[in-house]
Amino acid sequence: MNRNRILFGIGVLAFVSVIVTVRLGGFLVDNEYRQPDRQVAAQEEQGETELTPRQQGIVDEQAADEAEARARPYEEAEYRTVPFVGSRVTVWVLAQLHLLFAAFVLAVPLFAFIIEFVGYVKKEERYNKLAYEFTKLLSVSFSMTATFGAFLTFGLIILYPKFTNYLMHIFSPTFLPYVLLFFLEALFLYSYYYGWGKFGPKMHLFLGFMLNIVGTAIMFIANAWLTFMMSPGRRDDVDGDGVPDFVSAVSESGALLSLRDAFFNFTWMPINIHRIIANVAFGGSIAAAYAAFRYLQAKTDEEKAHFDWMGYVGNFVAIIAFLPLPFAGYYLAAEIYAFSQTLGIQMMGGTFSWLFVIQAALIGNLFLGANYYLWLGMGRMEGGVHFQKFIKWLLIAIALCFAVWATPRYAISSVSEIAAMGGSSHPQLSYLGQMSAKNTAVNILILSTYMSFLLYRRTGRQSVHPHRQLLTRAQAIVFSSAAALVIFYGVYGYYVDAAIRIRFAIPQVYSVLAALVVITVIDLPLYRNAAQSGETKWGRMPAVSQYALIFIALSFTWLMGLMGYVRSGLRQEWHVYGVILDTSPDAYTPTLGFATQVVSVTVLIFFGLLGVVFWLSSLGGKKDWEPKAVADGGDRLEGGQAA
Amino acid sequence: MKLSVPMPVRLVLLVVGTTAFYMYLGQIVPQKEAHPPPPVLISAEMTTEDLVAVGAELASGKGQCLVGCHTVGQSGPLRYPDLDGIGARAATQIEGLSGLEYLAQSLYEPAAFIVPGFADGMQPIDQPPISLSEDEMKAVIAWLQSLGGTPTVTLDTDLGY
Repeated sequence: MNRNRILFGIGVLAFVSVIVTVRLGGFLVDNEYRQPDRQVAAQEEQGETELTPRQQGIVDEQAADEAEARARPYEEAEYRTVPFVGSRVTVWVLAQLHLLFAAFVLAVPLFAFIIEFVGYVKKEERYNKLAYEFTKLLSVSFSMTATFGAFLTFGLIILYPKFTNYLMHIFSPTFLPYVLLFFLEALFLYSYYYGWGKFGPKMHLFLGFMLNIVGTAIMFIANAWLTFMMSPGRRDDVDGDGVPDFVSAVSESGALLSLRDAFFNFTWMPINIHRIIANVAFGGSIAAAYAAFRYLQAKTDEEKAHFDWMGYVGNFVAIIAFLPLPFAGYYLAAEIYAFSQTLGIQMMGGTFSWLFVIQAALIGNLFLGANYYLWLGMGRMEGGVHFQKFIKWLLIAIALCFAVWATPRYAISSVSEIAAMGGSSHPQLSYLGQMSAKNTAVNILILSTYMSFLLYRRTGRQSVHPHRQLLTRAQAIVFSSAAALVIFYGVYGYYVDAAIRIRFAIPQVYSVLAALVVITVIDLPLYRNAAQSGETKWGRMPAVSQYALIFIALSFTWLMGLMGYVRSGLRQEWHVYGVILDTSPDAYTPTLGFATQVVSVTVLIFFGLLGVVFWLSSLGGKKDWEPKAVADGGDRLEGGQAA
Repeated sequence: MKLSVPMPVRLVLLVVGTTAFYMYLGQIVPQKEAHPPPPVLISAEMTTEDLVAVGAELASGKGQCLVGCHTVGQSGPLRYPDLDGIGARAATQIEGLSGLEYLAQSLYEPAAFIVPGFADGMQPIDQPPISLSEDEMKAVIAWLQSLGGTPTVTLDTDLGY
């Protein structure tokens, strides 16, 4: 008996079991205690039907419920609850899942379009193939985004009806454009995906371009809704005294004064910028995780080479977007401070300050994972040994910066430890917990990671530029100067007041950004047409490198969940900060332990669903199902999976 | 014999293990639930001493004064001025303003005068999100006066705002 017959038999058995169970249940209920048969027959002849005690009870309950429902006046609910889980956690998880898939769907077309464009300019088919491989992930992810978007909308309407109604009152004029843009996004996305190879390259690139424009516009509209909740107004120098004034978009009672001010509110653009960069970093890491998943499944060298390259490109995209992300984060945080000192202080020095220690651990792991992958990648190339001696120094620098960044200002201590230290902060280590040290650490982390990338880029290549020595020295001087400047401001920050110290972050950031730009500008001509000292062997990466890619994607996802929590949680007991109070039982900020549990559950659900997306996307490359003939000479056909 | 763990199992272990590690980090940091500040009741018969006590409660609760902004009795690089002794020095901060007027102005119009060496940043605390009522403002001023000075504010005091 073959497997199909066994499965069929189990199915039939299960079906019959269900039928029998239902019938048996019905029989038992219908045959509970009754009067003797003769009496029932007599009653039926007279047109009377006797009810069993149970049936009578049910009828009475129904009648009582109906009477109660008729007597109850209609009341508009302010909040509804979800048993056990709670309304807030339900909406929290749904919103985060929606955002994770949406971030991915917005990011992938961005770099798929760029890769396709590079392939078009370079006339290399492999780029086109790679861009198509990335796009394969979009179709299912788009459906997931829409599904969780619908869940979230219904969740808000059902659980927070009054507040959702208020948001609709403010933003209803933006809903129709949003829906139209969503329709256009579906149109462009599916024509971009299914039109691969069906349209000419220029037309196809145009579809990709439009897909990105429409996707970004959708995100900008949705960002207005959520940033309004944090900063319901803008700052402008209304009275001309040179000091920005707060211009509220709504009255004290919440009535709309200006849709324009509600939409283009104070934190709208900082969030837009932060989200675009973060989405690309996140999308790149998830695409790299998909490549890693396929690499680990690959059977042939050709498949391994293809998915190794795809993983490298995905990770490259993630890291390139990740490097400026802390700067976008600074900008966002600075704008939150500028909007409301209270919000800013809550974020960095109040309820949420310990959250940033967890964030430091996550970002430190991301830097370690990304560098580790780059270092392993040097093994792909012949002649990679030359640069491997630098790895230990980079590892030491990264580990030190990681340790500094993760050092809290106040130690978690017992009473006896506090007594021994003379306070809740360690007499020496607490210096590393201050912003001066942390800003220095993250900037050196960025420089070190960029150095890893430069070493990777040089592996197996020899510059043939006539001024290569001069240009390489210039790069070294720029790099050292930026590092020295960052360290100088970090140390000097301990000798000045807080108001001055906080401004030191700006020259630190600018010096690192300038160094990245200048070194890149020098590096491009320096290694153009470089001599290859060895061949790049794609597909020669050890399996652990692929697990590193998945680890990076996981850490990115967790980081998105955590930072999503702090952005939303900052409002504390306000639905709309300073305007609409949350009066539900959930109007408090939970502990960090609880928040991280919710984030963890969300991440696990997301990765479970991502596994489904990866599996469905990988089906596209498999052969079609074909019937295979059984060799017994008959006409009978038996199904078989050709792949 | 070499034990080989199948790839899907490794992936699940990686995902669950990493998530559990990050969740564990969240459990070992200090845990605190932040509830909305409880309402403070101010009744008409409250004396100045009563207002000082209510003001102290407001400063560390609804008023958010001592939640990361100001300090009392600390020195060194501070975010905003330390309030120790403010009850005594308020009268000498701005020429022509009494101590009471100075304290009222610093709460209603904090940007009107910035203490040298500090940056602007405080928002009027009679406005959202803090939104102290007039009586609550009087209680906070009474508490500020008590820091190194003699509180004089009653609920009948006219703050001029």
